[in-house]
Amino acid sequence: MTTLTRQDLNFGQVVADILCEFLEVAIHLILYVREVYPSGIFQKRKKYNVPVQMSCHPELNQYIQDTLHCIKPLIEKNDAEKVVVVIMDKEHHPVERFVFEISQPPLLSISAETLLSHVEQLLRAFILKISVCDAVLNNNPPGCSFTVLVHTREAATRNMEKVQVIKDFPWIVADEQEVHMKEPRLIPLKSMTSDIVKMQLYVEERAQKT
Amino acid sequence: EQTELSPSSRDKKIILLPCKTPPSCEHVQLWLEARKQYESLQKGK
Repeated sequence: MTTLTRQDLNFGQVVADILCEFLEVAIHLILYVREVYPSGIFQKRKKYNVPVQMSCHPELNQYIQDTLHCIKPLIEKNDAEKVVVVIMDKEHHPVERFVFEISQPPLLSISAETLLSHVEQLLRAFILKISVCDAVLNNNPPGCSFTVLVHTREAATRNMEKVQVIKDFPWIVADEQEVHMKEPRLIPLKSMTSDIVKMQLYVEERAQKT
Repeated sequence: EQTELSPSSRDKKIILLPCKTPPSCEHVQLWLEARKQYESLQKGK
């Protein structure tokens, strides 16, 4: 049986690949479910053996890919504490925040088979929760947009700067307006604990959206 | 020459966001309409 350990050179990379692939699907699905973009740009696909909606708009897809490409080195080094998909109103004030809290537990050893099948099963449950989250959230006002925030540490940003795409896709420190939400309602969606990653997803929803 | 960060500075939590913004909903809507027109023209040929 093939076993991997945290010391393996590519272990962090494997975890980052798995999580970034998942986050890509999750972001597309959030944008569809929360109606940030017209439903006509989304096509049904199958991911984690469940149907999901993925955008076919080239510019939007590239934006999501570039974002995740920059976040990946942080996840690889276990330096991304939270990845947050923020939906903002016309005035660029957050109305909803989908918070992915990520941590990688210490690992002794794990079989490669377990790594793939078990994690996929857990991620599928997240996707299913996102696809029905509109039932527990209030409608968003028209004209919303989105952004992605990453909670990290100052020293970790050096890992980001090594990424080639960062030159064309720079990042800045978020200001209060992008981060702060007044008296949000907290809606836990899903949490998972596996041998390689712990993740929790919850939504913070602004009390008054209009 | 690189200056070493102090431990407190290295541990400072920050929140980052991309400078670039994603395409606007209006922009995407226009693209969608143009694609529909193109597809109906292709069908009419």
